[in-house]
Amino acid sequence: MTAPAARRPVVLLRPVPGDSVIHRLWAGTKLIAVAVMGVLLTFYPGWGSVAAVTILVAITTWLAHIPRGVLPSVPRWMWLLLLVGGGTAALAGGEPFVTLGSVTMGLGGVISFLHVTAISLVLLGLGALVSWTTNVAEIAPAIATLGRPLRALRIPADEWAVALALALRAFPMLIDEYRVLFAARRLRPRVPAQTRRGRRRQRAAEIVDLLAAAVTVALRRGDEMGDAITARGGVGQISAHPSRPRRADVVALVVVTVMCALAVYAELFTPLANIR
Amino acid sequence: MAALCAATAIIAVVVPFAGGLALLGTVPMGLVSYRYRLRVLIAATVAGCTIAFLIAGLGGLMTVVHSAYIGGLAGAIKRRQRGAATVVASAVVAGVLFGGALLALLALAARLRHLLYRAMSFNIDGVANALRHTPGQAVTADQLRDAFDAIVPYWPAVVMVWAVLNTVFVTLIGWWALSRVLTRLSGIPDVHKLDPTESDSPVAPVPVCLDDVRFRYPDTARDAMGPLSMRVDPGEHVAITGANGSGKTTLMLMLAGREPSAGAITRPGAVGLGKTGGTAVIMQHPESQVLGTRVADDVVWGLPADQVTDVDRLLAEVGLDGLADRDTGGLSGGELQRLAVAAALAREPALLIADEVTSMVDQQGREALISVLSGLTEHHRTSLVHITHYNDEAASADRVVRLSGTAENVRPAGPEMVHTAPVPLGGADAVPEGPVVLELRGVGHRYVSGSPWESTALRDISFAVHEGEGLLIHGLNGSGKSTLAWIMAGLTVPTSGSCLLDDAPVSDQVGAVAISFQAARLQLMRSNVGREVASSAGFSRRDRPRIIEALGMVGLDPALAERRIDQLSGGQMRRVVLAGLLARRPRALILDEPLAGLDADSQRALVALLAELRRTTGLTVVVISHDFAGLEELCPRTLHLHRGELVEATVTTGGRS
Repeated sequence: MTAPAARRPVVLLRPVPGDSVIHRLWAGTKLIAVAVMGVLLTFYPGWGSVAAVTILVAITTWLAHIPRGVLPSVPRWMWLLLLVGGGTAALAGGEPFVTLGSVTMGLGGVISFLHVTAISLVLLGLGALVSWTTNVAEIAPAIATLGRPLRALRIPADEWAVALALALRAFPMLIDEYRVLFAARRLRPRVPAQTRRGRRRQRAAEIVDLLAAAVTVALRRGDEMGDAITARGGVGQISAHPSRPRRADVVALVVVTVMCALAVYAELFTPLANIR
Repeated sequence: MAALCAATAIIAVVVPFAGGLALLGTVPMGLVSYRYRLRVLIAATVAGCTIAFLIAGLGGLMTVVHSAYIGGLAGAIKRRQRGAATVVASAVVAGVLFGGALLALLALAARLRHLLYRAMSFNIDGVANALRHTPGQAVTADQLRDAFDAIVPYWPAVVMVWAVLNTVFVTLIGWWALSRVLTRLSGIPDVHKLDPTESDSPVAPVPVCLDDVRFRYPDTARDAMGPLSMRVDPGEHVAITGANGSGKTTLMLMLAGREPSAGAITRPGAVGLGKTGGTAVIMQHPESQVLGTRVADDVVWGLPADQVTDVDRLLAEVGLDGLADRDTGGLSGGELQRLAVAAALAREPALLIADEVTSMVDQQGREALISVLSGLTEHHRTSLVHITHYNDEAASADRVVRLSGTAENVRPAGPEMVHTAPVPLGGADAVPEGPVVLELRGVGHRYVSGSPWESTALRDISFAVHEGEGLLIHGLNGSGKSTLAWIMAGLTVPTSGSCLLDDAPVSDQVGAVAISFQAARLQLMRSNVGREVASSAGFSRRDRPRIIEALGMVGLDPALAERRIDQLSGGQMRRVVLAGLLARRPRALILDEPLAGLDADSQRALVALLAELRRTTGLTVVVISHDFAGLEELCPRTLHLHRGELVEATVTTGGRS
């Protein structure tokens, strides 16, 4: 038996080992930067913005020493989907036209398809960069700090931060438990029902069983952690050494702001504005 | 409030995953909104959104918001016990609101709208062009084009109709699934024990004096504990021992502030659970005790915002110095419990209660933990109440209180469990005579290979398991023993080498080798014992004789078949799992940490049962464990696993070379 070509799975919520300027940035800075770029792409999704964000993503990747191995293998159906989408769009033709010898091709469809794909990829990349460079322990304290102004509006931002901290703590434990849950299901003999109706019922019953088991596990874990919280006298501090924004964070935010401003300028006042 | 907060957080984790399983993300959110207030749902949504964003970017975030919106609606309706009509009506309203929000967003982001429109129209054009070149389809192509052009001017209406239909559809599914899950759980089991204590008097839990105290849980016919009179003085180390069911945990609850049903508990002040100078409690499950993601964070978790703590000193005291920046996820059970002790000490408690803290910790970890606990009363002004079922642990105490329980209060041994007397195995029995069942040839395994997170779990493992053999694979935390168990059961395909069952890869025959996981609860999926055994063994749930036979094989009473899974004890759960697995006559049985979390009596009974099965039915047993204790009779042969490699030669007690 030969081992199958190793497919790289998605690694969840574990930063890329190592230390870099980006790793040391305050988690809040990264979240703000990502939010700003998300808003930019929503309101000015032109090529100018895509270019600006792509440049920032590229620079960050380089600064954080992120190797190519972090990218998970793309499942086959995804390639197929891209191929079908790209194919139909390409067949549409449309402006601009390019003449190669005797053949004239309309590239409008392809360009538009690439545009939408690029935006989706860049948005995915932004989220991924945050998880690749941030220790999960830093995220909840950052949310607590960022949410401080909300407290004036009587919004319980601290409560959210605590819930988030606990959720991130419970995450690896629950992932392990779900792995066992699914493995246990694989071990069971499967007796497919005879009729289609029977099969449908069986599938529904199986989903309900699985959901019930998952929910029971989650609630049990929740009650136990709840006891532990009560034993500590309720909620309070969540971090021993909460990190604060430093000079590097100011620099990073200035860079992001300048890039976004440039992108908006390009979208509104340069010839890029007319390319649709 | 605390339990609620934790439950919320955990539900929030479920959502991004269930969301991936199409439409089902609504169920956990529905559960939150069924059980708690809106405020909790919002906290869960925020936490869920952040995690989903870190995993899947903005798309994941949107999925969670959508799940929370619809699940919240379904849960709220369920709580008010309304029917399908209300669901549809409110889903329509919710759909209109959702559509409105979507339209507002699209109206604001005009450029994005144009972009999406262009992309869609190009795709339609492309399909139309392709059709036009297909013989006989030219008309369809034109119709497609025309239909799209006709719809476009009415895009707001299209978006609105889609939003309403989608919302109604998803709400109905969510509501249905939520109803089914709630019926299945028959309400939601609430297993939390501790209640926060509120009091205005100054905190002073010791000396505490119990005078003829009894406790009876609501809706039960007999006392869970008592009558008991005892006292705990400042700086004293008291051990409390007793069999299962003698009321040890009940006593812990009362020391932590619960009112007794009869008798009196007198203290100079308030209990002050978790307060500085108050009462601290450490419980059984190491993983659930620790709340911080990093070691240092956990020590201060929950302290008042202005308190400054010398984290390094506390960690040094429990023998975890230098680990402050480590992730808590990588700690062993013993280390986690010592961390919980450090967190308790950060509050300088006057009374520290340790409730069976060693029962899920391996031998080495247990010794370290006990030495930390024993030293406490010397260095701190703390009274220690240590509840344990191990006699040797009680030895270091100043005083031992044995709870015998009242006569009617000790749980009867029968009829649900048949204790088989241990049958000593002769030397001849230990020699594996039979043919090879499982064979591992140069097995190695790496997790996430090719990425920066790559880690090697196993290297070049080769050995064979013979029919009827009892084999113990021994290794400490992180030795790769669980990975090995998964590979032997065919659940994981090794990255190099092969694992063969009857000369074919075991990964192609999942189910032929049975495996019992450490967490028995995760392996039990049906609602009651009979159904569970039938489902896992593959016969009809109405086939009573076979269910009874399977239960009998593991020493369980047939009457147990109707019992709900959630009402079983840990030992019973493990036996039910075994009943289901053994009824399929597996080629081999793998047990991953079968003794974890069981008390001494249940451990002995389980080992005796397995040894008996091996002797009478010729069952092949592979035990994976970090403990040797008590397993010699079941497993004459031992392999040692250390950091992913087999070390030392095979130790065989039966004389096999």
